[in-house]
Amino acid sequence: MIEAQALTKRYGSKTAVDGAGFLVRPGLVTGLLGPNGAGKSTTMRMIVGLDRPTSGAVTVNGRPYAEHRAPLHEVGALLEAKAVHTGRSAYNHLLALAATHGIGAARVREVIRVTGLDSVAQKRVKGFSLGMGQRLGIAAALLGDPQTLILDEPVNGLDPEGVLWVRTLVRHLAAEGRTVLLSSHLMSEMALTADHIIVFGRGRVIADAPVSEFIRQGKAATVRVTSPRVDELARLLESPDVTVTRIDEVTIDVVGVTAEAIGELAASAGIALHGINTVTGSLEDAYLKLTAGEVEYRSDASGQPATNNQQEVSR
Amino acid sequence: MTRTAADTANRSSLEASVHGLAFSGILRSEWIKLRSLRSTVWSFSIMFVLQIGLGVLMAFTLPTSNDSASGIVNPFAMDDPMVVVTTMTAGLALGQLIIAVLGVLVISGEYSTGQIRSTFTAVPTRLPVLWAKSIVFAVVTFVVSVLSMLVTFVVALPILASRDISVSLLDEAVWPAIVGAAAYLSFLGVISLGLGAIIRSTAGGIASSLGLILVVPVILVVIPVTWVQDLANWLPSAAGGQLYRDLGVFEVWQAQLIMLGWVALFLGIAALLLQRRDA
Repeated sequence: MIEAQALTKRYGSKTAVDGAGFLVRPGLVTGLLGPNGAGKSTTMRMIVGLDRPTSGAVTVNGRPYAEHRAPLHEVGALLEAKAVHTGRSAYNHLLALAATHGIGAARVREVIRVTGLDSVAQKRVKGFSLGMGQRLGIAAALLGDPQTLILDEPVNGLDPEGVLWVRTLVRHLAAEGRTVLLSSHLMSEMALTADHIIVFGRGRVIADAPVSEFIRQGKAATVRVTSPRVDELARLLESPDVTVTRIDEVTIDVVGVTAEAIGELAASAGIALHGINTVTGSLEDAYLKLTAGEVEYRSDASGQPATNNQQEVSR
Repeated sequence: MTRTAADTANRSSLEASVHGLAFSGILRSEWIKLRSLRSTVWSFSIMFVLQIGLGVLMAFTLPTSNDSASGIVNPFAMDDPMVVVTTMTAGLALGQLIIAVLGVLVISGEYSTGQIRSTFTAVPTRLPVLWAKSIVFAVVTFVVSVLSMLVTFVVALPILASRDISVSLLDEAVWPAIVGAAAYLSFLGVISLGLGAIIRSTAGGIASSLGLILVVPVILVVIPVTWVQDLANWLPSAAGGQLYRDLGVFEVWQAQLIMLGWVALFLGIAALLLQRRDA
């Protein structure tokens, strides 16, 4: 159980996390979702006490992380791949972490086996691929047999087999009644792994709901329009209730207006349409709609979300 | 490579073995970290070899009072125990630089690689890590120094004997010098570790710790103001030197207090910052 109340973190004048409040429950996989720079990693770092909140508080099983008698037994955290001295072997890295809690070498060998690192355990971490670094991070997180797991972008850099392994592992851990919190900027990954999703946008929690509800919300119709004069059309559609998302040079997605209305508008402005159809709602649409106004880095001044962010999400 | 997630269910060996955070465990953790890095092992080995090599050179070349039999009286002639002590501590001038660099690396290496985040996740109270690192590094430095001086003594013994010098290790001028010299390196190592924890970057940490040993004394001596020049005696390198040879400025216990003061100053600042800063 992780409980955050009005959690805020400022770095100078920049607010990374802005009054975030949420509850992560045991027995479920909870996804922390949001574009890059939305405050996901900072939130996770505050949970394990690496960053001190500017204000507000976060507790794990009712207490601040640092006040637990056996922190590694409470929370296992993968905060970034390779939070490891690269001159040390994987085995010695894990052995040193384990020693702090009196955890023996037998458990170290066990997590090495479980994460499939047997063949490289005695090698220095310097030569590890991103995927092996992730596996080592997960091995470290599992060391203390923790009740709560926090995994920041755990599938980053993993091959398809590794992605599947992480997915199965977190589902299994949650099924054992553990609390699992993982972050991703990929809605598609969340849809496959998480039971509950907390969406971050510019440091604030902008949605907190079960995946099923997300899917329902996502059904709101999106109209995809293709036209050689799509920019003009986008300007005509501008209104507070309408969200226009740029897909490519000639294509936009519009939420908040029906296909009929767009057709009429285009006709009256003399803009030729090469294609118009209503796209079925999906999780990604729901996510995009939620975060459209909350993206940290924008690609242009027109107020549309950054294109590379879009691509990452729609992949 | 891949195991099924069901493997994680076999945790029986673990459930009985989680004991919780303990200082003894943190000490063991820091010992594992220190010995499992090639850079540490290499640095200590180089220090060990240098110490012996320079000692042997000294044993051949030191002017001794026994040489006056040849008829020429050398004004730099030393008595026998002094020759032995100078032989054993000959490598210290270089050894101190290795220890200063290594002391910084013990902590700055964790910041530069990101290891510190793993370390502080395991020990979120943080301060025990600083104490454990200091203790482990000081003890290892002390043991390696004493051993290297003892080996130097054994290797240099036949050379010194050929020059009619025979002094026991138990001579009251000899063994305190060995302990004092080893203590000097340990103090210096912990001071450097404190600097590394404050500055957090390897380059900056090494620059400031070597600067404290090599540059600051020169600057103070050059300034033609008596009290500033007197201050130079209080620097770690000067005060620490008096732990193993008598330069007539401080008693050994005074030199020890001064070194403890430096350790307390740098570790104190490091501890404050460690508590306050984000990792």
